[in-house]
Amino acid sequence: MTQALANFIKALRAADVRVSTAESIDAAAAVDRVGFDERGLLKLALGQVLAKNVDDKARFDACFEAYFSSAQTPAPPAASTDNDAGAAADPAAEADAADGGAAAAGAGGNGGSGEALESLLESTDGSALQQRIAMAARNVQLQNIRLFTQRGMYIRRILEQLDIDALDDTLIALSRADEDDPRALRLRERKAQLIETIAEQVDRELLLYAANAGQRLREEVLQRTPLARIEMRDFKTMHELVRRLAKRLIALHARRRHVARRGRLDVRHTIRRNIEYDGLMFDTVWKRVRVDRPKVVAVCDVSGSVAQVARFLLLFLYSVSEVIPKVRSFAFSNYLGEVTELFETRPVEDAIAATLHDWGMGATDYGGALAELERLAGEDIDHRTTVLILGDARSNYSDPGDRALRRIHARARRVLWLNPEPRALWDSGDSEMRKLGTCCDRVEPCRSIVHLERIISEIARTAV
Amino acid sequence: MLRSGQGSCLLRAAHRYFEVSNLTDKGSADLNAAPQSRARSAITAIQKGFADSGYIASDAIATVVYLAQALSKPVLVEGPPGVGKTELAKACATLFDKPLIRLQCYEGLDEARALYEWKYGKQLLYTQVLKEKLGDLMAGAHGLKESIARLHEFDDTFFNEEFLEPRPLLKALWAEHGAVLLIDEIDKSDQEFEAFLLELLSDYQISIPEIGTVRAKHPPLVVLTSNNTREIGDALKRRCLHLYIPFPDSPLEQRIIESRVPELEAHLRTQLVAFVQGLRALDLKKVPAVSETIDWARTLLLLHAQELDAQLVRSTLNVLLKFQDDIENVDAEIPALTRAAAKR
Repeated sequence: MTQALANFIKALRAADVRVSTAESIDAAAAVDRVGFDERGLLKLALGQVLAKNVDDKARFDACFEAYFSSAQTPAPPAASTDNDAGAAADPAAEADAADGGAAAAGAGGNGGSGEALESLLESTDGSALQQRIAMAARNVQLQNIRLFTQRGMYIRRILEQLDIDALDDTLIALSRADEDDPRALRLRERKAQLIETIAEQVDRELLLYAANAGQRLREEVLQRTPLARIEMRDFKTMHELVRRLAKRLIALHARRRHVARRGRLDVRHTIRRNIEYDGLMFDTVWKRVRVDRPKVVAVCDVSGSVAQVARFLLLFLYSVSEVIPKVRSFAFSNYLGEVTELFETRPVEDAIAATLHDWGMGATDYGGALAELERLAGEDIDHRTTVLILGDARSNYSDPGDRALRRIHARARRVLWLNPEPRALWDSGDSEMRKLGTCCDRVEPCRSIVHLERIISEIARTAV
Repeated sequence: MLRSGQGSCLLRAAHRYFEVSNLTDKGSADLNAAPQSRARSAITAIQKGFADSGYIASDAIATVVYLAQALSKPVLVEGPPGVGKTELAKACATLFDKPLIRLQCYEGLDEARALYEWKYGKQLLYTQVLKEKLGDLMAGAHGLKESIARLHEFDDTFFNEEFLEPRPLLKALWAEHGAVLLIDEIDKSDQEFEAFLLELLSDYQISIPEIGTVRAKHPPLVVLTSNNTREIGDALKRRCLHLYIPFPDSPLEQRIIESRVPELEAHLRTQLVAFVQGLRALDLKKVPAVSETIDWARTLLLLHAQELDAQLVRSTLNVLLKFQDDIENVDAEIPALTRAAAKR
């Protein structure tokens, strides 16, 4: 029973529910009280002990159903066909089975593990066989399965545990004596069924313990893949990744803001103010850390040259506006326009599609775009504003707009440029990174989620 | 609550039943009786006890109360506002007949407010009194060293339990026959306070630097509630049982209304609940909760309404919805929702 619980917790962990050791002990105590018999009650109790937020609850429910339905499957399909076949040739089969069973047990040297496989296969009792399979699965530690490539290996190992070799020997001996021996045919059929049952069980366990491992691996790879090379079908996963990252950063930086807000006694001002009370500290003055509202003006290039990554740059921009309270977002290719409202009111996919539709795919004009930015947001850019530009700085050999950017730089707290191209490609062809880069405080390549995380974190930290 | 005489009698019966089953639960570990049947009967008893005091509990709620008692663990209750999180603690207090001690959390809550405070005034007063006595005590002592040695012979007069002003947490630990401690809206407090609670939640004890460790005489039943305005730390969650109370489904909500506003006619109640359930499916800023449904039921009762119609709904919608935006957005949907509700 405890083994069942331990395996269940393992399955939960595989499904990304974080279960600590202390919680597993609690779970065991709860099971002690509640028992395994009433499934509804067990589910409620374990859910309350093991799953501690809404996401976890959903995952817990799915996992619980999968696990406890596989642990208590009704008799396998073999049992039903068993009855039909068994009824046809009953007395002879029974006698044979007893003989063969004894012989196989002797030959295989498999004493102690109960009845031999072939007699189990021939008997009408499906549950005994089921038990043997479960035991064999436990012996080969099926719960450690992690990859689908291990499937064949585990099936083979379980079969070995069940002493399939002895069965094969018997089969060969039987068919050597008589090609169409009915018993051999029947055994062969049962063996096929047995393998199917075991394969099913292995698949179930794989789903239980390893379904998430693939997903996790994928996420890890995605984090390091250059944005340009990520496929559209991974967009959902990417968004989830970026959102999770944003959430973590919010938690981190929200806390910092609270701490910064707390004051200390400002002794100088207190003394000055209390002169009128004869120097008695009557009216206290507290030091206040001014919370300067971080302001970000973000500009994203969505032109043809960055078509590959525009989608992800916008996704990034969208998550920046989720993390930092005051963000004005702009997008441009040949013209520049504000998309702040779009980002605030529409869900991410809509917002990105609309942005690409409205402003995307033109020939880039950095000169025009930066001038327009100055006109639209110039008044809003002051000593607290961080200007964030996402683009490859390829301006089709026209005016790169470095003068406009220099003026913006003079007004802003700082200007950051994130370039989706690797550093080696900067300044090649029509890239104006050298000219534009001198007007920025920092220029960084932003090629994957890992870069992205580092950059957002830095902005949020210094912007607060 | 209304039928107090009969209610409290029933309540006591349920309470006794529960305690008995609880006792057998502890006593007969070696008797090998099926544990689940005992657990089930205890849970049913809790549900019944709650129902008698007017709190309709789902299976999940009753189970968590049972487990909290059986494993003596705190319960963290989460869910949207107005589904009866705080109410649960009150109902527990009535059911187990224990005092309810409530600590409302807010930003900046510190241990002086939550745990204890020294009675500074009393301490000052005592120093004044002692000053006069000091002369007598020191009589016959030669030199400073001897006087100090003599002073040291006395216990620490100022920092002992006499001068301690207990705040909710300490009160709950000191409670003679146990208590129900409600720590309300834990998500509103700072992270530091959350960390400070950990010792209380895992061991039912608290360390006071000047005195030492205060242990609970009788572990209180601790209920923490959270609206999830911020994520509660893992360390705290690990120490608690976790209960999520969602909006009730239609039958449960009907039972709740029936228990809280028994005077309301059955068919109007069905319509009202169907309407609110329909309203929850819409995209609203603030979804109406159970407490709002109850308020609305009371409103309709006051107005002597017989039937739910669009006009009536429009004029009383501000009881259900608390944002002007929501009221305006819903306006167009009202006829359809009312019609759907009236069919029930």
